[in-house]
Amino acid sequence: MRAENYQAVTHPESHEFELNFGPNHPGIEGNYALKVRVNGDKIVAAKADGGYLHRGFEKLMEGRLWIQNIALVPRICVPDPVPMEMCYALGVEDLCQFEVPERANWLRVLQLELSRIAAHLFTFGGHAATVGMYSNMFWGIADRDLILDMFEQMTGGRVYHMYTIPGGVRRDVGVEQLDKISDLLDYLEKRLSDYDNLFFNNKIFIQRARDTGILTPKQALSWGVTGPNLRACGLAFDVRRDDAYLCYDQIDFDIATETAGDALARNLVRRKELAQSIYIVRQVIDYLKKDKSTHIRCQIPNPLAWKVPAGETYTRVESSKGELSFYIVSNGGEKPYRVHVRGPSSMHAVQVLEKLVTGGRLEDVAQIMFSLDACPPEVDR
Amino acid sequence: MKDVIPIQTNNTETIAVSKNSKNIYQQAIDTFSNFCRARSLFVLHYCTGCGAIELPPAMTSRFDMERLGIQPMVTPRQADILLITGYVSIKTLKRVILTYEQMQGPKYVIGICSCTVNGGMYWQSYATAKVLSEYLPVDMYIAGCMPRPEAVLTGLQQLMKKIEKGEANSWENYFKRYDYYLGNQQHLFGDTWHTPTDILEEARHYHLYGAESTGNNTARLIKYTVEHDLTKLDAPLREKDSMTKRGKK
Amino acid sequence: MVWDQDKEATKDNYASQTIVLDQILHELDTLNIEQKNNQRFRVDVSAEALPALLSLLKGRAGYTQLSAISCVDWEDEFELVYHLWSYETKVLVSAHIRIQYTPAVYVSVYDIYTPAGFFERDIYEMYGVYFEGSPMMEKFILTEWHGPAPMLKSFDTLKYVNDMFNWQEYQPDWLKEIQAKGGKVVS
Repeated sequence: MRAENYQAVTHPESHEFELNFGPNHPGIEGNYALKVRVNGDKIVAAKADGGYLHRGFEKLMEGRLWIQNIALVPRICVPDPVPMEMCYALGVEDLCQFEVPERANWLRVLQLELSRIAAHLFTFGGHAATVGMYSNMFWGIADRDLILDMFEQMTGGRVYHMYTIPGGVRRDVGVEQLDKISDLLDYLEKRLSDYDNLFFNNKIFIQRARDTGILTPKQALSWGVTGPNLRACGLAFDVRRDDAYLCYDQIDFDIATETAGDALARNLVRRKELAQSIYIVRQVIDYLKKDKSTHIRCQIPNPLAWKVPAGETYTRVESSKGELSFYIVSNGGEKPYRVHVRGPSSMHAVQVLEKLVTGGRLEDVAQIMFSLDACPPEVDR
Repeated sequence: MKDVIPIQTNNTETIAVSKNSKNIYQQAIDTFSNFCRARSLFVLHYCTGCGAIELPPAMTSRFDMERLGIQPMVTPRQADILLITGYVSIKTLKRVILTYEQMQGPKYVIGICSCTVNGGMYWQSYATAKVLSEYLPVDMYIAGCMPRPEAVLTGLQQLMKKIEKGEANSWENYFKRYDYYLGNQQHLFGDTWHTPTDILEEARHYHLYGAESTGNNTARLIKYTVEHDLTKLDAPLREKDSMTKRGKK
Repeated sequence: MVWDQDKEATKDNYASQTIVLDQILHELDTLNIEQKNNQRFRVDVSAEALPALLSLLKGRAGYTQLSAISCVDWEDEFELVYHLWSYETKVLVSAHIRIQYTPAVYVSVYDIYTPAGFFERDIYEMYGVYFEGSPMMEKFILTEWHGPAPMLKSFDTLKYVNDMFNWQEYQPDWLKEIQAKGGKVVS
């Protein structure tokens, strides 16, 4: 060890200390850091520090063909990759004026909602671990794995599926597979009451999460909060309903809301969304079973010489974390001219997290981060 | 970009540990400690990239790493295995190296995902490091994008076998060939790159100081530490350290 | 402000939207509106008029959310696109402006929209466009990067990678067997 590491630290009069929370910290979600200034265990100031997961996606996409980007896009957000593919596909379809077959849209909704369930189960596990309840983490991740199995059978990929492509989907899903998914939904629905007993009605969790990291509706709107975090403030906004894409306008579902705006409310919204997503998937399965068409993809040009007409488009999708949008610009060439990814966490993990953490206590930092469901790879891109 | 230090290509031959110099009791103790070591491994809980998403399933109920005696550990000082889960951006690589140097030997590095092998999906990216073994001695790669939990577990089992046979010694190379690793680190981070850990001193402590430990790159580092007056501060500490020094073998 | 979720209310949003946008059009003469579909409007505006347009849209038309600010490098000038979403009328307006390449400086809209802070900081890092009056202009993602702004079209990432990094040879036995039979890796 060099001595510089051991120099006595002179303590300031105010007894305030700088603490690096992350990147190598069990409480942080992903590879991310917060520099917090603490007085005792009270946080005086916080500054987010990102870029540990920066890969330069937007630059990479400019250097690859439109078809190659399908494989690159889902890797932007690891726990919930399907909305990324979806958003990119919607943008390219808008530029190319593709008519996507009806069945493909329903298959996409199936993927999106299963991915939402998986992502929420993963987040519950993480959040439970931050308040010291590890059993829920084990349960959530094991149940999520069952959904990953379904993905694997449907698409061939466990985590990254590359299933949604511009113009449709890669392959159809048979009746047998739909029955399997139906059985899985039965199982998950039965598990929901177990989760309630273990986690959502648990006194330990409720006492820790209630009144932690409160967002008022006004703050949430002015700070650009979206998705479940916004709905936890009592505002029933959902891209699926407001800016309907695919066939969400033909599907019946409720927008889950809570009014408190704290960490507990954010989690309860996700808990309600879990039930809603199961309800949506059931409708999709009914439709797919009745629908006899086999048309799942429109005609796409030769992928190696695919020129997308010049233009620009802004597409929005509701991911499990909030509003995800892509701004795609084409100059009529074989590669995108510019793709801008707006991940929902770019708001939640930076400005909102900094503000919510400040004034709170050190042990709540991890909990607030998980309750916002901040996903660092989306921020860093 | 910044001038300077050329990247060095890896000459892959590892420096063999001479086993014959040990007597039969030492060998017996080594065998026994390797046997124990392989059955109690702590994985540092640090996720550098996408591959980390397959670790929770591998650790929890479904695949259950713990039945192999492998557990996550939150501090680098108590961890045995550094899992590099996926691409490492250059900013992360600095932290990874700091973390690695804090870990106590014997320590093992596993590169999970294709990105650690050769850049993988992000081979074009300006922000990620490409070949991990140029910056750290890697014991094993698990390729795939991303490898399934089964693959991760198989890889860990192979590592256990290697440890038991006493073959997983690449951590010693970091001391024996420090000049090579430091050179590549300096190539990426600039020639003022230095870490709080004095690797050369540790190499002497572990009796791993060799001909390739020093060279042009360590000379650059030493010049920097002298210029910035880091060695003088170091002196009293070294004396104290030598009093409590324990031989490893 | 009334947060109306009824589907009925959104039925004639297009009509009401054009009325509001028409009024704003009269107040700002350097405006060009293009309607893409019922929920997407493109507005081209001069760089000087943008802050006024944004405050009008936020104050009068209920565009409370700044969804994103995108920057496009057109090699002789930068295009900045402000995507605004109205929760009341469910319409997205994209306001496009063009600013000069050197010096790339523009004014911050942080005082109108708080989320702008993140996007302006991001654009400054990635493109080098400076926003005057933005509270957070220090680096966030590329804190340890000393090269040029990487998202500029003039920065060649492939050349940088080839200069900076080595590649590992991979010659497994199975590949050698295939090559012995006359096969090869297609690249």
